[in-house]
Amino acid sequence: MSNTTGPSAVTLNVNGVPYPIVINTDRTLSTVIRNEIGLTGTKEGCDDCECGACMVLLDGRPINSCSYLAAQAQGREITTVEGLASQDDLSPLQRNILAAGGVQCGFCTPGMLMSATALLNENPSPTKEEVRIGLSGNLCRCTGYARILDSVIQTSVEIN
Amino acid sequence: MAVTDLPEFIRADGPDKVTGSGRYTADMTLTGQLVAKFKYGGVSHGRITRLDVTAARAIPGVFAVLTAADVPDVRYSYGLADRTLFATDIIRFEGEIVAAVAAINADIAQQALDAIELDIEMLEPVVDLEAAIADGAPLVHENIDSYEVTGDTPHSGNVATHSSISMGDAEAAMTNAATVVTSRYLADASHATPIEPRAVIAQWEGDKVTVWTSTQVPFDARAGVCETLELPTSKVRIIAPHLGGGFGGKCGAHFEPHIAALARVAKRPVKLVFSRWEEFIAPDRRREAMIIDVTTGVDADGHIVARTGEILLDNGAYMADSSFFAQAAAMHVAGPYVIPNVHIDAKLIYTNHQPSGSVRAPTAPQGCWAVESHTDEIAKAIGMDALEFRRKNIVTSASTGCVGQTYDEIGLDQCLELATTSAGWGTELPEGEALGISVGWWPSFAAPAGAYAKLHGDGTVQVITGASECGTGSVMTLRMLAADEIGIDETAIELIYQDTGAAPAGPGSSGSQTLFNHGRAVEKASQMVADQLRELAAAQLEANAGDIVLENGAASVAGSPAISIPIVELAAASETGELLGSAAADAIEWPEITGSTCLGEQGFSSWLAPQFSCHVARVRVDADTGVTRVLEVHAVHDSGTILNPVAAHGQVEGGVMMGVGQALTEGTRYDERGHQLNAGLLEYKLQTIADAPTITTQFVEIFTNNAGPRGAKGLAEAPNVATCGAVNNAIANATGVRVRQLPMTAERVWTAMNNPEAST
Repeated sequence: MSNTTGPSAVTLNVNGVPYPIVINTDRTLSTVIRNEIGLTGTKEGCDDCECGACMVLLDGRPINSCSYLAAQAQGREITTVEGLASQDDLSPLQRNILAAGGVQCGFCTPGMLMSATALLNENPSPTKEEVRIGLSGNLCRCTGYARILDSVIQTSVEIN
Repeated sequence: MAVTDLPEFIRADGPDKVTGSGRYTADMTLTGQLVAKFKYGGVSHGRITRLDVTAARAIPGVFAVLTAADVPDVRYSYGLADRTLFATDIIRFEGEIVAAVAAINADIAQQALDAIELDIEMLEPVVDLEAAIADGAPLVHENIDSYEVTGDTPHSGNVATHSSISMGDAEAAMTNAATVVTSRYLADASHATPIEPRAVIAQWEGDKVTVWTSTQVPFDARAGVCETLELPTSKVRIIAPHLGGGFGGKCGAHFEPHIAALARVAKRPVKLVFSRWEEFIAPDRRREAMIIDVTTGVDADGHIVARTGEILLDNGAYMADSSFFAQAAAMHVAGPYVIPNVHIDAKLIYTNHQPSGSVRAPTAPQGCWAVESHTDEIAKAIGMDALEFRRKNIVTSASTGCVGQTYDEIGLDQCLELATTSAGWGTELPEGEALGISVGWWPSFAAPAGAYAKLHGDGTVQVITGASECGTGSVMTLRMLAADEIGIDETAIELIYQDTGAAPAGPGSSGSQTLFNHGRAVEKASQMVADQLRELAAAQLEANAGDIVLENGAASVAGSPAISIPIVELAAASETGELLGSAAADAIEWPEITGSTCLGEQGFSSWLAPQFSCHVARVRVDADTGVTRVLEVHAVHDSGTILNPVAAHGQVEGGVMMGVGQALTEGTRYDERGHQLNAGLLEYKLQTIADAPTITTQFVEIFTNNAGPRGAKGLAEAPNVATCGAVNNAIANATGVRVRQLPMTAERVWTAMNNPEAST
């Protein structure tokens, strides 16, 4: 493994902040966000693109950061769950998922919020079916999904 | 960030969870921490002929390599003390831990695992329940008679526990029955599958160890560390950071002892984070596979007169907390029906599979699925509507159930009527669609629990509880109880929980006990603070303490709200500047039963504050492929008083969804040697949001005596009981054929439709 990879100086832009760091080029984006940059809101549930807990936005598009090399994210804008709230308050989506009861254990929540944020950015007025498709890469074991779905629809109503 | 203006019942931990600031165990880093990895046996049954860790220990960056030789020789488990932290001689399932390493990073830890020299002589695995109890079957535990036994745990050969429930004379009554129906059902094993993989960090300071761990039950985890590493309780502190779901899977002591032992030897903090594959193969908590044979006799009017049953349950390789499973399964196969004559026999069987342990309402979804499918088969056999048959036979207030327990006011009949009405039972549906009914039940559990309440001079309150918040929101409800007792706003209450170093002991998040037991303790501790406030106010207002009302943050005399003293002033004026309450929940008596347990009484025949439910599922079955979609589930529950409606609805919706997964896709597949074939999320197939049915929930709120705070029963497990049965009955109504294996995958549905002979 160490033949083709090694320490490399990179700068990653996360939530509008540049992080000049040295990383091994074989490290995944989720590992680097969590361990090097220190933002642990991004979760790791499977390391295999199956659960969606590690979802972040890369130039506004949702990706599973567990299966994306950190070095490839140079020069691009990375958004994590820590980047959703303003200095003063929660984002409408954060507020609505909480108010709807769409948060239980909370482990899927960051990834769910990132997928839903990307969906609403691209399609501010999704139908329920479009929300279902947009969030189908994010597993939740606690809620049965209905309240998460409601909170996305509620947010779309508020932002339009 | 101050989050304001949120509606009532917003969970106190919610803002942390939606902003990413909340720390789960895997999010923590301690200075100098090492990475732990486990060496697994990798075979389901084998004898260790050589285990040499010399080379692994010699690798630079490896700080500890442990095997059974490096920890106390302690055999543990409730029921039968059948296991050790590390395999000693025999490997009994593929996820059995042979060695543990701690190294400076994950790559070196992996190199150390690879350098462990392990030779195994393969033994014939025990993978089939019926073969396991046949004469001459290989034994999973050769020396079972040498194991320490706790409780009423009759065992022999590969039978770990044998239990039964019995009342009347089932054999004679069956002979006289007008119609007798016999059914056989097979349920696959399944998994709790929380989205957070298990994580543990241990750090020693002197002779004391602190363990941060993703446990639902910090006090049980502490007990496990103390027992296996032979440490006194005072030397072990367990802290559970935010917990990313559990569903029973994170009950018990799991890997806390291994990591504590590694950290002691390494003299550095050690951190373990499981991969998803390890989540599937290693924990001793998976939902047990079952074979269920059940026979029921009904009289000419359609009343059940007798039921007999035989159940085999797959215990896997070791006892976890499964000693009561046989009896629990027997209760579910009897079901919430008036049955004057019943005999159900259940055996919990050792195999070379991963150990079974509590997963959300253990034994219930499978048992209920079988008996509710059977119930529809009986109704069909006598030409009666499935709703009408249940109306005739379910337990109601003051009726006597299968073990001779006579119920107080219960709401199963209301659940049945409301759920079937909500779903439109009897209305015409499109081709390929149908409804199916299932009723279910589950007990509440009383256990010792304590709580502290502390009113500070600034008017804020700390509630310190042994409760655990695995996601249900129950701990969040404790704030409301304390606020109401003390007469202050809920937002002035801070919860301290999931820390054995701070809180009095309690059952944590298991058995739907958080509100039921911890809630009663919190209520009582808060009442002690309130009583002191009343005394202080009474002195100042020249009134009797009994006439003081505490509300809206002030004390006043009943009837004279105009003259009041702020609670913050009373607290500050007290002798120490704070008021303390400390209480344990009162003991609760279990109800009497008149039936008997012939053998294997495991505390699961008399049901305290029993919960009831009815689920009606609407499905659409594709005739060409067998693919089944659950379109709607109408769930009505009697869980007593509902104190936190948002959380309660969330429990039902989540429980139903888990049930839909168990019904349609979730089942562990094994190869012929007992290895899991689908130990990954993609292969195991949890339900996604795209699969989610519309779930309509109603509660029949009946104040229940001898129960939790304000007449509340438990809730978190009950919603997971009835869904599978409702789905199967809906499939049967849509297709005209009966699926007899759980999960009811497209292949199994298709086979039942096209080749019924081959369907079991």
